[in-house]
Amino acid sequence: MKVKAQLSMVLNLDKCIGCHTCSVTCKNVWTKREGLEYAWFNNVETKPGIGYPKDWENQSKYKGGWKLENNELKLNLGSKTSILLNIFANPNLPKLKDYYEPFEFDYEYLKLTNEEYFPSLKPISAITKKEIEIEWGPNWEDDLGGEFENRSKDYNFENLQKEIYSEFENTFMMYLPRLCNHCLNPACVASCPSAAIYKRDEDGIVLIDQNKCRGWRMCVSACPYKKIYFNYKTGKSEKCILCYPRLEVGKPTVCSESCVGKIRYIGVLLYDQDKIEQIAKTQNKQDLYEAQLSVFLDPFDENVIKQARKDGIPENFIEAAQNSPVYKMVVEWKIAFGLHVEFRTLPMNFYIPPLSPIVNKTELFQSDEVFGNIEDLSLPVDYLANLLCASNRKPIVSALKKLMALRAFFRKKNVEGITDDDVLKQAGLSINQAQDMYRYLAIAKYEDRYVIPTLHSEFHQDNFKKQGTVGFLNNNFGG
Amino acid sequence: MHNNIRPPIDYSLRFVDLQIQPRRTVTSPIWSGIESKEIPYSANYQNVHEFIPWRTLTGRIQFYQDHKWMQLFGENFAVYKPLVDAKSLSNINKEDNTLTLKWSTAHQKFGIHSTYVDLLTLQTLSRGGPHIWISESDAKILGLKDNDWVEAFNKNGVVLARAVVSQRIPKGSAFMYHAQDKVINTPISERTKNRGGVHNSVIKILLNPLHMIGGYAQLSYSFNYYGTVGSNRDDFVVVRKLQKPTWSKKTTIARGQL
Repeated sequence: MKVKAQLSMVLNLDKCIGCHTCSVTCKNVWTKREGLEYAWFNNVETKPGIGYPKDWENQSKYKGGWKLENNELKLNLGSKTSILLNIFANPNLPKLKDYYEPFEFDYEYLKLTNEEYFPSLKPISAITKKEIEIEWGPNWEDDLGGEFENRSKDYNFENLQKEIYSEFENTFMMYLPRLCNHCLNPACVASCPSAAIYKRDEDGIVLIDQNKCRGWRMCVSACPYKKIYFNYKTGKSEKCILCYPRLEVGKPTVCSESCVGKIRYIGVLLYDQDKIEQIAKTQNKQDLYEAQLSVFLDPFDENVIKQARKDGIPENFIEAAQNSPVYKMVVEWKIAFGLHVEFRTLPMNFYIPPLSPIVNKTELFQSDEVFGNIEDLSLPVDYLANLLCASNRKPIVSALKKLMALRAFFRKKNVEGITDDDVLKQAGLSINQAQDMYRYLAIAKYEDRYVIPTLHSEFHQDNFKKQGTVGFLNNNFGG
Repeated sequence: MHNNIRPPIDYSLRFVDLQIQPRRTVTSPIWSGIESKEIPYSANYQNVHEFIPWRTLTGRIQFYQDHKWMQLFGENFAVYKPLVDAKSLSNINKEDNTLTLKWSTAHQKFGIHSTYVDLLTLQTLSRGGPHIWISESDAKILGLKDNDWVEAFNKNGVVLARAVVSQRIPKGSAFMYHAQDKVINTPISERTKNRGGVHNSVIKILLNPLHMIGGYAQLSYSFNYYGTVGSNRDDFVVVRKLQKPTWSKKTTIARGQL
């Protein structure tokens, strides 16, 4: 056993209202500069839809993530040799039109014009400054914009009779905020010919060393979430850094801090590094979810604590792991799932699946059955299973049941004044757990959502050397 | 109590702040929220927390109008009333390949009026210009694809915008979210020989006889919803695909060639 600690995020999709405040604040802080106009380290997609960049989930197109071949983990992108052979012309890159051509307006024209009409501006490309037609954007499918025929190319419709969902009455949608998953088995790290990408030892954040990156862009293809972006100005790739300058001092990321719906949680997960390879090699993709759970360690276990100390995990990280909201949701309650575990990168952001209205049931209010309707949720369980659990329905159904039971229990308690844990038992919950879940999911206080230990920079860098310096150099990166 | 005007407590303004734009600082009897660093802004803050009566006849938020005329018209409560024929489609040449759709102008998701949807970031997260939502089945009849140009018109006026074709819009409806900026991406209408139009171009203000009540408290009609709420958003438009948008010569000239 080798104990490592990771700062990990849970996103409660049940509460996401799709306001894009996370995206906007992230954009303002990290990517509002030349070279990265098209990049969104955090974006929010309306599902079903093909997303940003177009069709990112389709790995037969982009060759991201890992595959299992003769019980060996291989990059979908190919072997080291074939990566090197393609180094000057990577064939699996998303093009600018797959993201979108960023546009702007020349507002000064409004002041200076002597047009015969009320003036109006045509969009110009933020890159070439030439006039363009806007044909796609980072949020083109917002609130189901665009024909069903195109949106239903969504990879998550696999094995679903999708035609019936094209009807107005059967319409369903959900929001999916996406950022770098800071995976345990990151394909981007493995694909980099310059070894510029690394998973930070102290908290598991995946970073690109801007001094080592040579802009080969193999990581852009290898990341199955398409969360690495090439900065055409600096010629280097960049990605979400989980706002580490904030995390290091105990503050949540910008996307979490600004979240209007309070859907995001950040906490420490302890995991066993020795197990990762074996788990990523799990034969059946449907077992990947359970397999990944087995890598997380119980922070209250004496042996784990002893080993963690031995492996140099600081005391405040162990304490944070014990109070971690992420541990509760992912391991204890089992209501949060990694996005597309079948990519075998072992993603470390987790999503609580959303509940949705129950459709097509007139007898709904006559029956007091709480869970009989799980198949009648307007959001098909199979769709969620394809998105969050490599098409394994069981864990998703169990999580949805827990969320429904929680509501039924508290409804009865608040409306009728009866504390009746029947419904909780059916979902496998105790009253104590339900009260905890209510505290974390419904009340969601700031100090419960973010349990972030400060970093011990004295262990990792020579602070004496840094004395008197003032942050980033003027090198067109940050600053 | 009504005239409880206090200076700001926990923030200050410099002269340069005022040069940029006017700022609201003092509390005011006509603006029910307060500016503070302690609490998030919310309307009615003073009424709720400082027990200042609302400016209604009862001093409370009123859902019921205890007025003779209101009773006669059956409008004491919020009520559904069938459409009034505003004659917006009379003597209109509907042409071929058009549909008559119910016009809705709800508030949009990223803001109110042009705040903050006119920001480039939010335009990027939207469609980069005015757009009208149309159902998939109506779009099929009109031969419309997502992002095509459409023209919506009636006797009141014309509006040109891009189409967003979506399954979430009920058949027979067209939604144009409130107050999208026409200084961007709006062509010239061949019908009016003028710039595009906005969501309000195809509707007109209708007076309800009940607007004439009173002139006191909340029963004081004034344009733009100061007082009794108007009923001007209930109309139909004729929609057709715009084959080719017309731009004025100057709109299309390249940047920097003014």
